Amino acid sequence: MRDGDRDFKDRGDRGDRGDRGDREGRMRRRFNVGDTKELVIDYKNPQMLKNFLTDRGKIVPARISGLTARQQRQLTQAIKRARMLALLPFTSG
Amino acid sequence: MAKATVAAGRVLSQRAKLNTQREYESVTILRPETARSEIADLITRMREVISGRGARLTKIDSWGMRVLAFPIAHLRKGIYLYWRYHGGSDIVAEFERHMRLHDKVIRFYTVLIDEDVDPEARPGEVTDDLLDAATDPGPDPDELARQAAAEEAARQAEYEANRRQREEEEGEAEFNANQEDDNR
Repeated sequence: MRDGDRDFKDRGDRGDRGDRGDREGRMRRRFNVGDTKELVIDYKNPQMLKNFLTDRGKIVPARISGLTARQQRQLTQAIKRARMLALLPFTSG
Repeated sequence: MAKATVAAGRVLSQRAKLNTQREYESVTILRPETARSEIADLITRMREVISGRGARLTKIDSWGMRVLAFPIAHLRKGIYLYWRYHGGSDIVAEFERHMRLHDKVIRFYTVLIDEDVDPEARPGEVTDDLLDAATDPGPDPDELARQAAAEEAARQAEYEANRRQREEEEGEAEFNANQEDDNR
């Protein structure tokens, strides 16, 4: 496991977590980027998009970013566009 | 690639029948050494290409020279140019064909912003002022970083000098105080 991804990827032993009901609440919103309700997602704004990348340049999953499914779709699209223009890295670190 | 050239008078796209167009935006990256006059040349040429096909360039903007997130064509930096225009479906192919042929362009990317745009309802005309501003490649990011580093170093040196002076003064004061104590 590489450093930048550890905070959300390495969830340790999930073996005997009988109650899956609370998983949602616990896993969400661990990635703090402030208020995301009225987030304007635009590939021309790499500074904003950087908040949703790990140190290695991976896109943070919706589970962690706390975005709605719709926002997350827009976000991945925007990040991929920004990468095409070398505004964001494909990989780093 | 679809054949973009169609004899005059023929319908270029289904949208042309409805008198609507599509709005696109493109970002192009130019080699960092591109001269201002070369950028101006490129813009005026593209403007003719675009307007020659019933399309219209509504915005042209320079984002200046930026450091690329990864090297393209072995280059670390590039000059970014932003274009917005609306036209028929053939305009993108033509725009990109010209970009591909231009040897200062290292990357281009086009995005569809809006469909069924009434061309009359979209304001924005590229004035000469805007054109002139767009040719400005802006300051070199490396140069800016060097300047910032130099300023930071100067600040640090000044702080260091002040601190040393203060320490010396304090040391002197302490020494004097000790002397007075000794004299007593």
